[in-house]
Amino acid sequence: MGAVTYPNEQVVKFVDYNFVPVQIEVSNTALMSQFKVNWTPTIIVLDADGNEVHRVVGFLPPEEFIPTFMVAKGKWYFNAEQQPEAQGMFDEALRGYPDSSAAAEAVFFLGVSRYKMTHDPKPLREAYETLTAKFPGSEWTKRAAPYRLIPQ
Amino acid sequence: MALNIGWLDDLAKAKDRAGQTGKPVLLDFFNPK
Repeated sequence: MGAVTYPNEQVVKFVDYNFVPVQIEVSNTALMSQFKVNWTPTIIVLDADGNEVHRVVGFLPPEEFIPTFMVAKGKWYFNAEQQPEAQGMFDEALRGYPDSSAAAEAVFFLGVSRYKMTHDPKPLREAYETLTAKFPGSEWTKRAAPYRLIPQ
Repeated sequence: MALNIGWLDDLAKAKDRAGQTGKPVLLDFFNPK
C-alpha cells in the first residue's frame, strides 16, 4: 500500500477529503489485539466513537481503494441515518468505478438505503435485478436474493 | 512536489479529530518492514 496506493495523487486527495487517516505499526500489539488484527495491511473505518464500520484485509490498488472506501464512507453515513449522503457515496462509487470489486456492494446498499429512507420496498427489488444482471457471481447478489420475492 | 496522506499516529487524537470534523477514521495497520 505504501509503495503503490498511498502515494497515488487521487488516493491522497480522496483520503484527506473524506477521512481522518491514522497509521498504526504492527509493533503496537495493544491496538492489534484490541482490533483483532492478525495480518497487514488491515484497514478499518471507524466512527468517532470507535465503532467499526468497514474492514478490508489485503492490498488494494488505487482503482479499487477509492471505490472500496467510497462504499465504506457511504456505510458510515448509512449507520448515522444520513441516507441522502449515503446514497451520494454509493452513487459516486458506481458512476466512477462501475467495474470495481466494490460496485456490487454499492448497488446493494444503495437499494437498502433507499428503502430505509422511503419505506418503499421497490428499491430492494431493483437492487436485486441490477445485481443479477451486472454481478451474477457476487456475494451481494446472493445476499439480495430474498428481494426477488418483492412484487415489481 | 509529491503529495502525501496526512497520517496521524495516535488513534485517540484521530477519534477526537473525527468528532470535530464530522469525518470517519481510516485506521491503517501496517508493517513498515
